[in-house]
Amino acid sequence: MPGLPDVELPDAELVRRVLAGNVDAYATLVARYRDRYARYAVHMLGSREDAEEALQDAFVRAYRALARCDDPERFGAWLFRILVNRCRTAGARRTRRWRTVVEDEGALLEAAVPAAAERAGWREEIDLALGRLDADQREAFLLKHVEELSYEEMSGITGAGVSALKMRVKRACDRLRALLQEAERV
Amino acid sequence: MCERDDEMIERVAGELRRPVRLDPAFDALVMARVRAEGRGPRAERPRGQSRGAAAWRWLIRPRTVRVSPLAGLAVAAGLAAVMVIGRREPAGSPTAANGVGQFASAAPDARGRTVAPRPSTLDPRPAAPVQFVLVAPGAREVSLVGDFNDWDVAATRLRPASAGGMWTIEVPLAPGRHRYAFVVDGTRWLADPAAPRAVDDDFGTPSSVVTIAERGA
Repeated sequence: MPGLPDVELPDAELVRRVLAGNVDAYATLVARYRDRYARYAVHMLGSREDAEEALQDAFVRAYRALARCDDPERFGAWLFRILVNRCRTAGARRTRRWRTVVEDEGALLEAAVPAAAERAGWREEIDLALGRLDADQREAFLLKHVEELSYEEMSGITGAGVSALKMRVKRACDRLRALLQEAERV
Repeated sequence: MCERDDEMIERVAGELRRPVRLDPAFDALVMARVRAEGRGPRAERPRGQSRGAAAWRWLIRPRTVRVSPLAGLAVAAGLAAVMVIGRREPAGSPTAANGVGQFASAAPDARGRTVAPRPSTLDPRPAAPVQFVLVAPGAREVSLVGDFNDWDVAATRLRPASAGGMWTIEVPLAPGRHRYAFVVDGTRWLADPAAPRAVDDDFGTPSSVVTIAERGA
């Protein structure tokens, strides 16, 4: 497609150029997907630093394996699947940190009461509640309600069955609702 | 189910759909890593052909093999020799019963699964069985995690040893220094109250240290 600037080229053409040896074409793919997917990684991992690391890893792994991307027109979906897996790996490494927090949950809640009025607000409550969901529930909730994927798409990405995903989303919603209502009462 | 008209959930989702800001150098960092790969993406297989499919095609592709009678006899003799040698138990074999077999302590855990600590197949040093004990009345399950099982909560479950809340497991460990902790009910991380605490925990969680001496040391 001569004449078109890189940013306007479809994914399949950019992938073809990268495979032909034009590494710079990959920068266009990075710019195209980084913001959209950073949002998922940040919410999934609860930390911008961890999210950037997972997203970088996903881009690099996708580059290495680009020849195995069977459908270059759907490079974005393929990259997202890699990112979801990277977030799972990163999340498993962080599990111990989060669980230590849970151990001291009572003390944290007690200490937080006098300062509740000074909390940054709704957004902070959401982040806290999201961090207290089980990882598979958080993943399902974000894919369904934030990334707005269908259950079939979610199943393709996560490898879980549709009914299991529906149950995870339901439980995530119930838990979020309970946690946020509790926070509003404080 | 979680309906879309649930106002609170919709507010949460709306908030989370806002864009997040990345490090301005993010693209440059990714591209530096990509360029550091040193060569282009690996294109070792035709598109659409998975590794498994390629292996399967290689296996089922017919081939013509020519073997002379002399070579056939030599192969048959070699196979016979391998079978005879394989049936003899070598003297001093590491499988001889010396009480320190690497899987000597494998046993069903509290959920009926077999605890199978990883054998150190590349480590010639013999593993020593180490018994871990935790008193945790009221616990529903207790796991042992450590650098010997990649801190995997599901890998090594303790068994309830008495009605008094004692949990125990025996695990073969290679000589050296190992960090470990107990996980109660899948959520509470506890250092071993009867062992020295690790001072260099990477994650800020409580953990303990056990040092296994070389046998005969």
